[in-house]
Amino acid sequence: MSEFDVIVVGAGPAGASAAIRLASNKVNVLLVDRADPPGSKNVSGGVLWGDSLGQVIPDWEKSNMLERYVEAKGVTFLTKDSKISIDFRSKKFGEYKSGYTVLRTKFDAWLAKKAKDAGAMVASGVTVDKIAMKDGKAIGVEQAGETITSDAVILAEGANSRIAYDSGLKKKPTDEKIALGVKEVIKLPEKTITERFNLTSPKMGFASEYVLGFLDGGVKAGGFLYTNKESISIGAVISMGDLRKNNQTYSFNVIEQFKDHPFIAPLIQDGRVEEYSAHLVPEGGMSVDSVYGNGYMIAGDTAGFTFSNGLVLQGMNYAIVSGIVAADSFMEKKGKGSDMNFANYGENLAKTFVMKDMKNFSGIDRVTWSETIHNTIPAIAEDAMLNIFSEDGNPKKHLSQIVLSSALKHKDKRKDLAVDLYRMIRRL
Amino acid sequence: MMKIEDRLSLLNYKIDKSYAHITVNPSICETCPDHFCTFACPAKCYTLIDEKLNFKYEDCVECGTCDTACSHGSVAWTNTKGGHGVKYKFG
Repeated sequence: MSEFDVIVVGAGPAGASAAIRLASNKVNVLLVDRADPPGSKNVSGGVLWGDSLGQVIPDWEKSNMLERYVEAKGVTFLTKDSKISIDFRSKKFGEYKSGYTVLRTKFDAWLAKKAKDAGAMVASGVTVDKIAMKDGKAIGVEQAGETITSDAVILAEGANSRIAYDSGLKKKPTDEKIALGVKEVIKLPEKTITERFNLTSPKMGFASEYVLGFLDGGVKAGGFLYTNKESISIGAVISMGDLRKNNQTYSFNVIEQFKDHPFIAPLIQDGRVEEYSAHLVPEGGMSVDSVYGNGYMIAGDTAGFTFSNGLVLQGMNYAIVSGIVAADSFMEKKGKGSDMNFANYGENLAKTFVMKDMKNFSGIDRVTWSETIHNTIPAIAEDAMLNIFSEDGNPKKHLSQIVLSSALKHKDKRKDLAVDLYRMIRRL
Repeated sequence: MMKIEDRLSLLNYKIDKSYAHITVNPSICETCPDHFCTFACPAKCYTLIDEKLNFKYEDCVECGTCDTACSHGSVAWTNTKGGHGVKYKFG
């Protein structure tokens, strides 16, 4: 007889969603997090996209843990001197769901409380060392030399997956499978934010992704800037491979280069940095050979469930869905004999957007981290825009001529630009 | 540009004086050709002092970067225990 039906390791969106779902269905569940309070080591950009959370917390949108609803979504290329962006704003973000900005320490503590309220036992400040295995089956977790037993383990420990590595469930990431996210939270008055970003109300927010095509030493990074109620979350997601190749740029200075950009600095002007943080970001889709085994399931960042195509950067929604599906997969098995091999988790997950996106967009990281995206396109666009929007007294050219001549100027940067563009359009 | 030391000073830690959750192998670091850890670590835990690698775990934000960054097998990474380590306010 196990002490728990399920032990969920990690109180992030994946683990907490799993725990809420299980506890709400009278499953005896332990949610364990190594941080105290739970979630206080968790970091993300972060925008929670979609409404997956509604599956476990129906009235979640009424929560005051949400910062602002994204009514303005940006996609921006930055060169040393220029900013080229799409700034999409729509009243239709009422019927089409965008996302809410969140601050994870507060948000995740709230999720853990929801799990507790639903009947889960929540243990914080408890570090699990390993998944306890017996005859090839997970029988619980090992903690400080002791085994806490359970019929199943849901592993949702995040991107820095120590337990998965030490339990032989995941290989350590290569440079291509991981990026380094560095972030700052900058305090500004609510009114200033609403005005500065031209938002229609203090409840509404702006979220933009950036291609930072101007960094010292050609280091590649994506930037993000999200508005919270009374602060701005700004950060850079840095390619580990490029940082290594460069080997003279300090990761912690990349975000400062972003903040100092002539068209970013005014957005955070007079703001006070309240917090600095760093966290790994899974890249390139699924990062484990299998998301399940005998007695265990892997969810969220630990499984590599994040999505980025340069236009959007998502992870929490994938985490939530994978956590819920893991919980449901346990309940399918509960009380039906001793089989706890969770092939059904793999099958159930394959039916959701989580696995479909992982499959359909496999290899997209080669586009998002390409020279073409980070250097060539911004350079061509800058050149073309300067031609289109400046007036030098000469006869005007057709748009196609301008773009072509700009592209030709930069063709030395990348000879196979056409191939890259084709690959990009196909993958996006 | 805000100095990293000033940014780190904003953070709260519950420091575990009796347990360093990361250790490095000095004999490996001594012959390291790149010292990439000094550039990769976002908390500046790895610095070169007189060309010798100096490591302190106290400022660590537990991201796991150094474990991936070090390709020479010097870094031994474990999770902090008992709720020790970095404690974010916002995350």
